[in-house]
Parts: sequence; C-alpha cells; structure tokens
Amino acid sequence: MQISPDVLFSIASFSITNTTITTLITDIVIIVIVILATKKISLKPKGTQNVVETVIDYFKETAESIAGSRASFIYPWVVSFFLFILISNLVAQIPGFESIRFHSLSSGEYGVPLLRAATSDLNLTLALAVASVVTAHFLSIKHTGIKGYLIRFLSLKMFPILLFVGILEFVNELAKFISFSFRLFGNIFAGEKVMATMYGMCPFVLPLPFIALELMVALIQAIVFAMLTMTFMHIMTDKSH
Amino acid sequence: MEIIQKFGLETKLFLFQLVNFLIIVFILKKFLFAPLRKVFDERKRKIEQSLLDAENAKIALDNASQEKRKILSEAKLNAEKLASSVKITIEEEKQKATLEAKQQFQTILDEAKRQASLEFDNISKQLGKMSINLSEKVLAKVLSDLFNEEEKQKLMSRALEKIDEKITI
Repeated sequence: MQISPDVLFSIASFSITNTTITTLITDIVIIVIVILATKKISLKPKGTQNVVETVIDYFKETAESIAGSRASFIYPWVVSFFLFILISNLVAQIPGFESIRFHSLSSGEYGVPLLRAATSDLNLTLALAVASVVTAHFLSIKHTGIKGYLIRFLSLKMFPILLFVGILEFVNELAKFISFSFRLFGNIFAGEKVMATMYGMCPFVLPLPFIALELMVALIQAIVFAMLTMTFMHIMTDKSH
Repeated sequence: MEIIQKFGLETKLFLFQLVNFLIIVFILKKFLFAPLRKVFDERKRKIEQSLLDAENAKIALDNASQEKRKILSEAKLNAEKLASSVKITIEEEKQKATLEAKQQFQTILDEAKRQASLEFDNISKQLGKMSINLSEKVLAKVLSDLFNEEEKQKLMSRALEKIDEKITI
C-alpha cells in the first residue's frame, strides 16, 4: 500500500483516484443523511433527525460554552468538519472496502484498490486544513476588523516583544496546516496499514479488536479536528486575544 | 518536491477536495442547519412559552388556592356568626318562652285560685244554707215541744239571723 492514492483513470487530464471515489461516496452518504433528517422535519424529532440534532446540539452547546454569542457562525463549520471526516472514516471501515480491485493500464497484475479511505489522502486532509484555517482567518477579519486581525501578527507595542510574538503567531498559523493535515492523514493511513497487515496475517477473529480500535480512531479524529477548528475559530474571532 | 510527489499531493486533486468540501458545507448549511435552526428556535420558543404558561398556571393556582382559603375562612366566619346569632336567638326564644310559660302558668294559677275561691264561696254559701235549713229543722224539731208557734218563729228568726251574720263574716 503506497502513501499516495492510486490513480484509477483520468478525465481530461484530471486524475480520478480511489480516494476521489470514496470522497464522492461520502458526499452521497451526507446528502442522503440531509434528505432523511429533513424529509419529515418536526418539533418532536425521530430517527435520523434525532441523531443529527443530537450531534448538532452537542457541538452548538460546546461552541456556546466556549465562544458565547459567536457560536452561531462557528458551530455550522465545526459540525460540517465533524460529519465529513466521521463519515469518510466510517465508510472506510466497511468490511471488504479495500478488497475490490480495479485494473487499469498502469496497474499491475492484481490491480489497485477501487476504494480507499478518503482521509488517507493528503490532498483531502490538507484541503480540510486549509478550509479550517482560512475560514478562521476570514471570520477573524469579519468579526474583529482588519486592524484587529493584523495586530495579531504585526504590533510595534512593547517593541520588540510583541513583534516577535507576532512572528511566532504567523509561524503557528503555518504550522496549523501541517498539524491538521498530517494528524488526520497519519492516523487514518496508519490504521489502514495496521488493518491490511492484520487481514494479511489472519483474516478471521484477529482483525476484530483492530476494527473496534479503528472505529474509535475514526470518531476521535473527527472530534479532534472539529474541536481544534472550534478552538481556533474562537481564538481568532475573540477581540481580547 | 520529491516528498510532495511521494505523498501524492496534486494541485488539481487538492482543489477538487477543497471545492468538494465547500460544496458539502454549503449543502449542510442550506439544507440541514437552516431548517434545523428553525426547528430549534421554534422548539425553544415553545418551551419558553410552555414554561411561561406553567408559571402563569402556577400563579393562577396559587391565587385560586388563596381565594379558596379566603372564601372558606369567610364562610367559616359567617357560619360562626350565624351559629352564635342563632344560639343567642334560641336563648332569647327560650327565655321568652319560659317567661311566657311562667306568665301563663301564673295566670292559670290565679284563675284557678279565683275559681277555687269562688267555688269555695259558693260551697260555703250552700253549706251555710244547708246548715241553716238543717238548724231550722233541728230547732223546729227541738222547739216544737217547748215553745208555741209564735215564740218558735221569733227564736228561729233570731237564730237564723245570727247564723246568717256568722256566715257573712
């Protein structure tokens, strides 16, 4: 199993990889959930609406306890990250997910997996990291003003201490891209490696505890990403920081 | 660059994933969060309204309870007043009845005494008359042998007068 996703075919110089297919499957699952949750929307929630409301309510309350009134524009982003990452991770845990092979001109004798966890592709995790950080910065400019935003990185007060702190802040923001993307990518990719090894060693019973572990990792990574996004958005939109 | 290639980073794939995620965020915001926010707000409004109604109902219940206690205490007070007034009236009626009974009794007694006295007088008179008649007959019997007819009449008249005087006294 290589680090980069396998290219299945190309459409007008755009490479369709196995992680791209999984991303589209994730999109379909999310759209189905949205349809099921809002199909018979009522004040007394039932079924999918109840589950989705529980998730949204949890993040909404957490955001309110951290960011107060700013939670109204923070929590939709946080829930979006959580749902997208969780579903991407869980879809990959379906038994036999990677066992379907795809034969292309460039693939070898056994072909390449048709499906692979979307979050085991650095392109996706980096895109999520960029979305998280850029949105936090955009919300910061919107709610603290351009002056309040720039003063975080460039301040001549208490020279040169705050200037140095500003440079550190800038480096910290750059580090967020790496930490966000590689944490998620590393965990899911490593999980896939472990599962592949376990299935290779003994496909019966032995993978069971690792499946449970991977399900936990799937949930924990989604929560970690969502919570960090919430925290950074709160810090960036708070005038006192 | 080698590392980037090793990780499979590609501008087009990265942009595809970024745009794809932003579309998903848009879909979620537009078709999931917006309707659910309305439901949340509506539910919140209903809960607040219900709590307010419950609070009002509690206040109304408290007021009704106070009113009930007030009415009961007033009714009790009125009943006590009525009972005491009835008691007083009964006492007065009792006293009045007793007094009337006493008066009636006294009247009846007086009447009985008067009747008895009259009866006694009548009987006394009758007895007097009977005793006069008897004395007359006794005297007539006794004197018939001792005196003549004229003396007998004189003596008898005088004796009868004396008897009559005594009876009158």
